[in-house]
Amino acid sequence: MALLKRLIDWIDVRIGAREVVAKELTGYLLPRNINTWYSMGSILLFIFVLQVVTGILLLIYYVPDADKAFKSVTYIMNEVPFGWLIRMCHVVGSSMMVLVLLFHMISVLFMNSYKSPREMNWLTGFILFTLVQGISLTGYLLPWSQLSFWATTVATNSANAIPVVGPYLVEFLRGGKLVGPPTLGRFFALHVALIPLGIAAVVGAHLFFLQRTGVSTPPFGLKDTTNRWKGDGYSYESHPGGIPFFPNYALEDLRSIFIYLACFLAVVYFDPYLFFTRDSFIPANPLQTPAHIKPEWYFLANYQTLKIFPSEFIGLAVQGAGMTFLALLPFIDRTKERHPLKRPLFMICAIGGIMLWIGLSVWGHYS
Amino acid sequence: MHLSAHLFILFVLLLPMSSFAAEPAEIVCIQCHSTMPGKIGEPVKLWKGSIHAENGIACNACHGGDPKDAANAMSPARGFLGAPKEAAIPAFCGRCHVGVLKDYLASAHGKALGKGGPTCVTCHSNHLVVKASLDIINEKRCSQCHSFERARVIRDAMQETEAMIVAIDKRIAAYKGNGVDTESLEKSLFAVRNRFHTLFHNVDVGMVKKESAGIQADLKKIQDQLKALDDSRQKRKIAGAVVVSAMLLLALFAHLLRKTFD
Repeated sequence: MALLKRLIDWIDVRIGAREVVAKELTGYLLPRNINTWYSMGSILLFIFVLQVVTGILLLIYYVPDADKAFKSVTYIMNEVPFGWLIRMCHVVGSSMMVLVLLFHMISVLFMNSYKSPREMNWLTGFILFTLVQGISLTGYLLPWSQLSFWATTVATNSANAIPVVGPYLVEFLRGGKLVGPPTLGRFFALHVALIPLGIAAVVGAHLFFLQRTGVSTPPFGLKDTTNRWKGDGYSYESHPGGIPFFPNYALEDLRSIFIYLACFLAVVYFDPYLFFTRDSFIPANPLQTPAHIKPEWYFLANYQTLKIFPSEFIGLAVQGAGMTFLALLPFIDRTKERHPLKRPLFMICAIGGIMLWIGLSVWGHYS
Repeated sequence: MHLSAHLFILFVLLLPMSSFAAEPAEIVCIQCHSTMPGKIGEPVKLWKGSIHAENGIACNACHGGDPKDAANAMSPARGFLGAPKEAAIPAFCGRCHVGVLKDYLASAHGKALGKGGPTCVTCHSNHLVVKASLDIINEKRCSQCHSFERARVIRDAMQETEAMIVAIDKRIAAYKGNGVDTESLEKSLFAVRNRFHTLFHNVDVGMVKKESAGIQADLKKIQDQLKALDDSRQKRKIAGAVVVSAMLLLALFAHLLRKTFD
């Protein structure tokens, strides 16, 4: 113990570690009525780290070459010790990341935490949401299976619906007229370098904004939920009399992470094929289209939207409008009231929107 | 005449041609024979239900001739062979089924060729060619010439092996759908299946029994490899149960520890 204290003293003398701990951990107070939903962000950060670590391990054996990619993934799955575990963690982790991200967004939505002055948090969060979709889409192609090849063909093809620039955009995305080796090259670069760096940078900004504005008070269990901030000057929302982040909420975060890990590993060990189809284990064949090409579950609503409109352009425009509305939500929704039960119109729109998304996804799955 | 009138006539003349061109043209053999009555027309009807038709093997593949020229379709100069004499049937079919011909000629069936023994068409029939399978070895077919007793013993020995092959094939396919590298397993099964198929034209009971035992021993080796895969899957599940329980315990520990800070 004495040795540990001497070590801490040594560091403290040089960087003032105790002051940082006091300010950012033990002295960092959170609202008393904070709930479990607030730990979704910590889970997401944890998943991101896990994806980076498993991704780097996969990179050791993966070969980003159209002739060798499928074989290298088969090698990882069958020959590399625990290769199957690393790959399954990476694949299942990607779907879980989208799922937890949706929960995180829904909790922010229903607790109305996106409201002024937290527009920047919401906007960076929204950018993270699109980046995660991008990294999932690009990662999908890398195993170079039938599923990879045809899902990417369908996904890149939808850009065709954009007037004038559509066909050029498709060719730019694919690096040619059709999905082929150049597509793999550019998706690989996006997946392992550009998008992860982008996500890390935006996560940094997201946390920075959280740190500057302070954690929002949940609107439940408090009589006074009015926002006293008038928007005329910068103010940090401190929580006097609140609970310290460390150890109190850090332990709650840890508990959530362990519960997440239990669910995640249960899928990895008992039903990893939940997110796979037979086509995922057949090498890509540009000459043979599989019978049912469907995107990943989180793109099913988008896929169905494209199908129900008479023209793909309208379908794409509707999705663009929907996404823009979601991105600009804090600027559109200006009321100060944050308790969802006191906002019937908001509740109808929010629940209606979620039901619509689920309905479209289910329809897309069975169509 | 006016130019537009010329074009109109040309259009009217070309119209029926273009509608014919849309359909794949039937070979001339079928065009003529299918309209003929009795023995000359019958083969077309029978052929349509055969394994040959299913695989796109048409008249000229066996009988030769020119399937595109109605006038000379049956000209020997164009390679027309006509129907073989009974003793020539195995050689006729054996032009494609080389391995089967060898197996047949070596068997008691083949040795009795020309002395009342069966030819290919006795069991597989001529135009309504039946796919080679164990179903062909049945009482009705075999007892045309002799009692079914010996054939039944052969059939039983083969049926067991066939069932094993089908079951193994299914298990390999299931593993393949889970990302397991099944290439070597598939190759082994392919080799064993081929070896098994050579038995189909052997009618020596002792030989079939002996060969079947050897084939089953090889199949057992593949089954052992599959068993090893099953075992490793089972181990993974046990490890999974341990890991998931550990995570739940850690979650409980964090929860209890959190409560001490209230």
